Amino acid sequence: MVEKQQLFVEAKNSIVNQNKDKAVDLAKQGLDSGVSGIELLEKGFLPGISEVGELFGSGRLFLPELIVAGQTMEKVVEVINESLVGGEAKGDKGKVLIATVEGDVHDIGKTIVVSIFKANGFDVKDIGRDVPNQKILDEAEKFGADVIGTSALLTTTMVQQKNLEELLRKEGLREKYKTIVGGAPVTQRWAKRIGADAYAQDAGDGVKKLAEIRKD
Amino acid sequence: MGKIRTRLGDGSFIELLEEEIYEDLVDGTQDAAQKGRIPPLSEDELRYLLDLYKSKARVVGVDEGHECCLSYDNMTSKIERAHISVSKFQQLQLFERALGADTLELAHIDYSYKQVKHVVIYDKPNMEQAVLLTIPPMLYGAMPNLGLYTYPDGPCPNPGDLLPQGKFDEAKEAYAQAIELAIKDMIFVGSELYEAGADGINFDTTGAAGDAEFYAALKAAETLKAKYPKMGIEMGMAGEFILGMHGEIEYEGVRLAGLYPHDQVKLAQKAGVTIFGPVVNTGTNESLPWNLARSVTFTKACSEASEIPLHANLGMGVGGVPLNIMPPLDALSRASKAHVELCRLDGL
Amino acid sequence: MHAAHSIASGMGGMRTTGDLVARLQLNKGMRIEQAKQYVADKLKVPVTDLADSVTMGEMREDLNIGVVNEAPGVAKGIDAKFRIAELLDLDINCVDMFKDRVKP
Repeated sequence: MVEKQQLFVEAKNSIVNQNKDKAVDLAKQGLDSGVSGIELLEKGFLPGISEVGELFGSGRLFLPELIVAGQTMEKVVEVINESLVGGEAKGDKGKVLIATVEGDVHDIGKTIVVSIFKANGFDVKDIGRDVPNQKILDEAEKFGADVIGTSALLTTTMVQQKNLEELLRKEGLREKYKTIVGGAPVTQRWAKRIGADAYAQDAGDGVKKLAEIRKD
Repeated sequence: MGKIRTRLGDGSFIELLEEEIYEDLVDGTQDAAQKGRIPPLSEDELRYLLDLYKSKARVVGVDEGHECCLSYDNMTSKIERAHISVSKFQQLQLFERALGADTLELAHIDYSYKQVKHVVIYDKPNMEQAVLLTIPPMLYGAMPNLGLYTYPDGPCPNPGDLLPQGKFDEAKEAYAQAIELAIKDMIFVGSELYEAGADGINFDTTGAAGDAEFYAALKAAETLKAKYPKMGIEMGMAGEFILGMHGEIEYEGVRLAGLYPHDQVKLAQKAGVTIFGPVVNTGTNESLPWNLARSVTFTKACSEASEIPLHANLGMGVGGVPLNIMPPLDALSRASKAHVELCRLDGL
Repeated sequence: MHAAHSIASGMGGMRTTGDLVARLQLNKGMRIEQAKQYVADKLKVPVTDLADSVTMGEMREDLNIGVVNEAPGVAKGIDAKFRIAELLDLDINCVDMFKDRVKP
């Protein structure tokens, strides 16, 4: 039991310290000793990525480190997925398509969100910045997305999130996707007004909201 | 006991018991204290804030003697954005004569130094004429906006594309290139407008693209101050801490990533900035008491660390003001009074 | 938003002496108490009067340094700033430039 607890602590630290090799070794070691992949993720690696998110959100850890931590987590998830019979831990969390809306080239926040979402086991497709709504829809269809996430940094571009909701309704696709909105001027109030399924205040909040809307 | 009507950070009304408001005030100040590693507000200060929320007054204001200076950034664009068809000169006069502004700021609607560079030839005569017409100190303002120097808006590779591919060295090189171009533009525009008669230059929303942008603005300020020792330089920030997009950039031996306002101001001062504008972001899912206590805690620590005047940013989505394009009077006036009185602010 | 801040916390701009105090902040980096004291000393008034539109309005009229409701013949724009520079013993960029330009 103590050894298992120690393994979880080390697994968490390997993510916080962005140590890819160590993290992969620990995942393999855990699986070999009979700890389930899900338990390894939930008690070891995911608390690590959660701490990384908190450290980033309070200015104690920076984007390059965040990205490496995210990539470390992806490697771990790959190892654990391979061990699971008949299913993927990663795929179970859902496919998320992400874009910055048309007219808006800001992508710092989106880059952070993509890293955190991936690190938390979501299958994410980032289709970039300044993306027209029709293209978002086409790409979501191709990708087989469960969720469409859009970012807008400007009061002048956030209206595109409303237009996307309208386009989804017009195309009869509104029930097919969950939508999540974010960006500097965006609020829960705005999400409700336009009919989006969720609002994410930041990347960490986004992870929670994704989990909630995926349950609905 | 009845409930008190206040708001969430997005402006929506909520009703809270007095003890719930107090709890939010405590949580807000503790959040700032932990994140910034600074002292939380005292019991007396929290009670002061609680009284503000208990008051049913629609508008509150500072006590006599605590009045401060108001400098408004991006001044002329604010009238243009409301589609009021008056010239830039008339806009400045509106602020001067009708809105109680203590400083004025001429600005171009495309409010970034890079964009302004192309219209300096037109804004210089505007400045020359504006300083003939008006009396308060006149600034020229724009944003450093480092993002405009990277793809798709600029010639440098976009670190936002490179970093997820693990190309960290290339991303750092891209930042270095962008910094050089941004500094050049800020110095060019700053020099041209000062030589057209401005009293000072405003670097607004500094650090929006992270530590590299803060560095560029500090270097530009340093060069301008050396070139024009009497120039006033205002630097307003974009967020409460410097995002570590690069992560390793240092100014005067201090790593910029992760700095909170009380450390930002020290570097700004070293660079020659004469008015510093700290920013504390409003959390839209939290109550205004939580946000206000948090913002006052950060701003107070900044004020105590500063030797230069502080004009805190208290507008849409910052400084305990709701994130709404028309911030409500009740919330705005409470934020205004609390910051000025508890943080000993020099201005807003 | 601007009107709200002005009512809640503002010195009042050129209705009072806010513009003068702001000059000391911007160009000398003085914090508000020091800047207010500096202006009060130059105007020979108590600091507590600096944000009062009645006394400071009259003071501005008397010193001819620019008022909101201008009567014919009073100092406007740069004319007022020439006087402010002298009154506050402060260099004002556009005033200095103006002097340079009209030098014989």
